[in-house]
Amino acid sequence: MVRTVISALVIVLWCIAPFYWMIVTAFRDVGFTYDTTPWPTHVTLANFETAFSTALGNHLGQAMLNSLFIGATVTVVALLFGISAAYALARLEFKGKGIISGAILAASMFPGVALITPLFQLFTNIGWMGTYQALIIPSISFALPLTVYTLTSFLREMPWDLEEAARIDGCTRVQAFRRVIMPLAAPAVFTTAILAFISSWNEYLISSQLSSDATQPVTVAIAGFAGSQPHVEPYTAIMAAGTIVTVPLVILVLIFQRRIVAGLTAGGVKG
Amino acid sequence: MTTTIEVPTATQVHRATQAGIAHKKKARASRALVLPALVFSVILTQVPFLVTIYFSLLNWNQLRPSEIKFAWFKNYAVVFTGPDFLPSLFATVVITGSSVILSLLLGLFFAVLLDRKFVGRGLARTLMITPFLVMPAAAALIWKWSLLDVNVGMVNWALHLVGLSAIAWNTDLPVVTIIMMLTWQYTPFMMLILLAGLQSQSREVLEAASVDGAGPWRTFQWMTLPHLRQYIEIATLLGSIMLLQAFDPIAIMTKGTGGTKTLSYLLYERAFIGLDVGQAAAFGVVTVAVTIGVATIALRTLFKVFINGGER
Repeated sequence: MVRTVISALVIVLWCIAPFYWMIVTAFRDVGFTYDTTPWPTHVTLANFETAFSTALGNHLGQAMLNSLFIGATVTVVALLFGISAAYALARLEFKGKGIISGAILAASMFPGVALITPLFQLFTNIGWMGTYQALIIPSISFALPLTVYTLTSFLREMPWDLEEAARIDGCTRVQAFRRVIMPLAAPAVFTTAILAFISSWNEYLISSQLSSDATQPVTVAIAGFAGSQPHVEPYTAIMAAGTIVTVPLVILVLIFQRRIVAGLTAGGVKG
Repeated sequence: MTTTIEVPTATQVHRATQAGIAHKKKARASRALVLPALVFSVILTQVPFLVTIYFSLLNWNQLRPSEIKFAWFKNYAVVFTGPDFLPSLFATVVITGSSVILSLLLGLFFAVLLDRKFVGRGLARTLMITPFLVMPAAAALIWKWSLLDVNVGMVNWALHLVGLSAIAWNTDLPVVTIIMMLTWQYTPFMMLILLAGLQSQSREVLEAASVDGAGPWRTFQWMTLPHLRQYIEIATLLGSIMLLQAFDPIAIMTKGTGGTKTLSYLLYERAFIGLDVGQAAAFGVVTVAVTIGVATIALRTLFKVFINGGER
């Protein structure tokens, strides 16, 4: 009992308190910005209006749509290529498999910051600066190694005997994969999709340099936030924006916790 | 997780050989289907780096676009002899090193806490991992304003409660600020890996130890820690690689001031404030070299696991 209480307390302090304080501030009237009462006072929704107000130069609504669009595209493309590549690595024998696995694994450890110079030059030259594809393609190259190695470690554990059996019964390799393995692998694919989406949703560095006002994702939007009064740091509006972008993710994590934990440890422990 | 310590059995080896022979027949058709994806993956992940290496050999400042020419290793000479490199390397080592060690220790603490059975353990575990998954840009803002701000921050409010005066963390203690924030963010990652390690430990052995009269601390020291060794190694290496690249909190909270100018932030500054493409690229290559230095050890460990599918 004592143990439960202590564990709960430590965990609450560690993870809930920062979010709690953010939410309380987000609902507090801008006039009481410096009020540090630890429970909700002067509750108002005005900060959320400020956060979404395009008149003040905050493009939060558009930015969230951009992030969703970029994230969805990245996830779909990374999964399409990731599933095939992971299948090859987990299931086929071919020359250079070791080198390819190594190169993809190494790419996941590659510092993204080293890429912005060539990307910036390349996209300026071909006139892609500020376009969606300039944000999507680098994001795919970050999500892809993660997708490939998480899926490879999941696919390796599939009951491949069933696939063999299906092929003896007359299925082609593709049919066997689609009808027998895919349904079994669906949870793993779903887990990988969540992780790929989160990695793209959270991307800040590349987007901060390559996006325009119209295409900027939500990470960039909240980093450069403007308030309703020019000379007051817009704490309350920033916290409102922070609430809008973090709370859905926390809910997503709560719903899919089992899968996310499985995915993170598959990628982490098994490489 | 449990397969990590298994040795391949004779049947598994036999099956693998059989499968290898079966593959050769239809290998060509399946390669045609699958290899384009592999090639695409390799290109998309490797080409930008090759371009960076090429750029690093050019004399190219965007303020003087007419003077682009090949300069061999001049940029590297500037990087290594310049006044910024050593302090930046030092900042990188301090920030990465402290964050890795602190998040590893805290991660171990939370993993031990969560390894016990209590009501709401699943929920607690989920909440524990949120700092790792929440948008780093938003997390940086939460820390900058909600926790550490002089006027409205929770930490300063708590300090005030116990009678201490507020600290302007962000400007007075920027290195500490960044380390705290990164530790908060990466502790869940460390915890997940260590928790996987704890849960793969045989319960019988632990019970036997307690029957033989070993106290909880001795059991932990002599049985659990040695068992966790490989998990601690992996957590440390992966954590170091990710933390070496940390950029968002530095860009949002301190802008590289007060000893927080790590290699990745310095590189960014060269490219987008100094507008020196060649030098920035050279810094990029050096950053990658440092990361690869750390990663080689990691790769050696992980490679086996990745290739052999968890059997070593």
